[in-house]
Amino acid sequence: MAAGLVAAAIAGCRVNRPPNDHAAAQTLYDATVSDPGTFNPLLVTDAASGGAIGDLFESLARLNPRTTLFEPGLAASWEFSDGGKTLTFHLRRGVKWSDGAPFTARDVLFTMRVIYDPKIPNSSVSAMLIDGQPIAVSAPDDYTVVARLPRTFAPILSSLQFSILPAHALEAAYAAGRFNRVWGIDTPPDRLVALGPFLMTRYVPAQLLAYRRNPNFWMRDGHGGRLPRLKGETHLIVPDQNAQYLQFKSGMTDVYGPRPEEVWPLEQAARRLNITVRKVGIDTGSLFFAFNRNPRHYVRRGVTDPRYKWFTDVNFMRALAHAVDKRGMIDLCYRGLAVPAVSDVSPENKIYHNPNLKDYAYDLKLAARILDQAGYRMIRPGVRGDPRGNPLVFNLTTNAGVPVRNQMCAIFKQDLQKLGITVNYRPLDFITLVKALESSFDWDCVLIGFTGGIEPNDASDFLRSSGNLHIWNPAQVKPATAWEAQIDHLMDAGTMALDPYQRAPYYWQIQQILHDQLPIIETVRAVTYVAYRNTLENYNPTVWGLYRPEWIEFRAE
Amino acid sequence: MLKFLLRRILIMIPLIIGITFISFAAMSLIPGNFVANLALDPKISPQVLKQMEAEFGLDQPLLLRYARWLWGIAHLRLGVSLAYRVEVAHLIGPRVLNTVILALSSMALSWALAIPIGIIVAVRQNSILDRTLSFLAFLGMSVPAFFLAFLAIDFALWSGWFPIGQTLSPDYATLDFWSRIADRVDHLILPVLVLGLAGVASLMRLMRSQILEIKNADYVRTARAKGLSETAVFYKHVLRNALNPFVTMAGYSLADLLGGAALVESVMNLQGLGLLLLNAVLKRDVPLVMGSVLMGAVLLLVGNLLADLALIAVDPRVDFATLEAQ
Repeated sequence: MAAGLVAAAIAGCRVNRPPNDHAAAQTLYDATVSDPGTFNPLLVTDAASGGAIGDLFESLARLNPRTTLFEPGLAASWEFSDGGKTLTFHLRRGVKWSDGAPFTARDVLFTMRVIYDPKIPNSSVSAMLIDGQPIAVSAPDDYTVVARLPRTFAPILSSLQFSILPAHALEAAYAAGRFNRVWGIDTPPDRLVALGPFLMTRYVPAQLLAYRRNPNFWMRDGHGGRLPRLKGETHLIVPDQNAQYLQFKSGMTDVYGPRPEEVWPLEQAARRLNITVRKVGIDTGSLFFAFNRNPRHYVRRGVTDPRYKWFTDVNFMRALAHAVDKRGMIDLCYRGLAVPAVSDVSPENKIYHNPNLKDYAYDLKLAARILDQAGYRMIRPGVRGDPRGNPLVFNLTTNAGVPVRNQMCAIFKQDLQKLGITVNYRPLDFITLVKALESSFDWDCVLIGFTGGIEPNDASDFLRSSGNLHIWNPAQVKPATAWEAQIDHLMDAGTMALDPYQRAPYYWQIQQILHDQLPIIETVRAVTYVAYRNTLENYNPTVWGLYRPEWIEFRAE
Repeated sequence: MLKFLLRRILIMIPLIIGITFISFAAMSLIPGNFVANLALDPKISPQVLKQMEAEFGLDQPLLLRYARWLWGIAHLRLGVSLAYRVEVAHLIGPRVLNTVILALSSMALSWALAIPIGIIVAVRQNSILDRTLSFLAFLGMSVPAFFLAFLAIDFALWSGWFPIGQTLSPDYATLDFWSRIADRVDHLILPVLVLGLAGVASLMRLMRSQILEIKNADYVRTARAKGLSETAVFYKHVLRNALNPFVTMAGYSLADLLGGAALVESVMNLQGLGLLLLNAVLKRDVPLVMGSVLMGAVLLLVGNLLADLALIAVDPRVDFATLEAQ
């Protein structure tokens, strides 16, 4: 009671401030879940850091999320020559860094040198090694960069999607061996030398990141007007999604990506809140059950565990594929806002997604018949055995703390129980799970997801038999099966043609092979939504990012 | 007394080394290290992961790594966080003050409510008032603080009286000095209420049982027999003795202050230590975890010492000799 009085008394003395009108200030507020780990674009390994500095830096080419093709960025144009082995970039003239220095070829060369430096572990380098060979770059003049590739390599533009660093600002630190500590989150934001549409003005840990428009940004709209149109941006750092939801409803933020259960309530309240709720598209990732086919897990002291036989038996796997109740998962875990996934490539990847695959329909009777015919018969009531009489029992895991995956595993377990297959389900914390997947190989079946990109060769580590993320049997010295050898071959062939439409058939065939051989069983893909204030104009989200974000503005009242 | 203090402080050194070594070893023995967070990222090759392990020194033996860390501590350096690549002190520093302010004010609130209510219900034992307040106390004990936090921000949205989470407003930088203070206080009210109310129940039950126990003690009967007034008996004999365990408890709570509010901090989006440390443990960011373990250990030991000193001041039955004998 006393506390209530004190609280009321304090609440009475309000803060003396001008009204914070996002539209009048042309400042867009949104929320992000966690703090950035670094402001150094090359050292970014997490989504939060990428989001924090994404608007500060630019790469040579920009991806158009509508066409999924590359468009000019810091490079005004480029051309291939020498049968695709030489790529010449003509850099945009007149682009300035935020400290006034001009952007030149020197910046591109410096960035490439840092990326290839083994003392600076970074996530850009893997994509820039072609068959293990680096790309040789040179600059004949300040505004031309020539890249010579060891061979024709179609994904090259996607590989070169790194942020260009300011050579003049970072060269000294790099030479002194301090690059890994440069531009950490303790750097005052105004010391970051950037050239993107926005410049960072403030970072309050665990609270917010604030930006103002870059007055020298190179891009202009069709009428010569300056871009970006927004004068500022603020990302509130809000770890709890429920709090994000309430903050959006209260008007603290202008944009929000609702969870499935929030879509309907927001649609109901759309008129009152003066917001639009819009479908963005289908998740670009892939969420699947993977089955361990790694002999290192099953062969112990010369004895092979029977599970190895089951998981490499395509009939057994087909039966399991027919036992995945995708409709039930969509209705229960995603409130109906998801679609069955058939291929490991999302349908949103319009060029590379194979639309001709036929899904394994959920049909337990059919699954039981397939098992019976393949010799997996009931050995006692409720228990099915393999042809040698071993009861069918295996372990299932996923990463703990993701309710949707938990529910999906529960559904799968129940359906397999109906077939007489016992599943021991135990979720693991993320790092423990990673260790099991990549070094101890001690797992049978896992529900796991990968994020997806537009460039299909980015999944190389997952698809190639030698890949470290070739999850069912990683880092093979030579392909264990004929179809894995064929996938390796197709992956090579897919990088040789330059035109995306000529490349697509190779990747379609890989999807067909995975669909037939079933080392993984695809589940479902969420349909994502976004809610935003009606006062926002030109707000065009796609699953691959915002379309023309520089054009976004608040409508003048 | 000096001898007592000196001895207690000297004992702390091996204790701290023991506590930190066990934590360090535990962090290293669970499977996976910081680099494993990145192992499923297709853009990061195994070679890069190896280079990172070497950069962070994670490929070295446990004892060497611990010795290095200890060497840094001896030079007052907490080390560099793996996830953020900046000094641990830089990460913990700005958050400590917020967490301590939040924890101290909510503790003050729960004590300010719990002690008088505990006294009232003990004096009116088994009355309707006692039953009602005890019922509410049990209700409060069984509702988790983070749930109360959800209710609180829902209330804030519905009423519009309070900000919805956050430690400060987005326009904080543009405010004048007094408005900044008002802004911070404004953001503190609900979290303090949530954490404070969540703590009331158990404290109040403790106070009630203390008084009920002491009310029937022999020395209280003696005091009454001497002919002291009921007020004097209650304030001089019952209440003063009933408060002793609270003095000890205050010392221990000093350490709880740091990590205790993690869930509420997360739900109400406060700038604090809780979530930072929780994530550090999940990501195996050893230097950051160790920094907080060290702080927690020092606070626990210092708090304990302060509680003992306070107990000597409060309780005439306790002196340096009896404490040393323990």
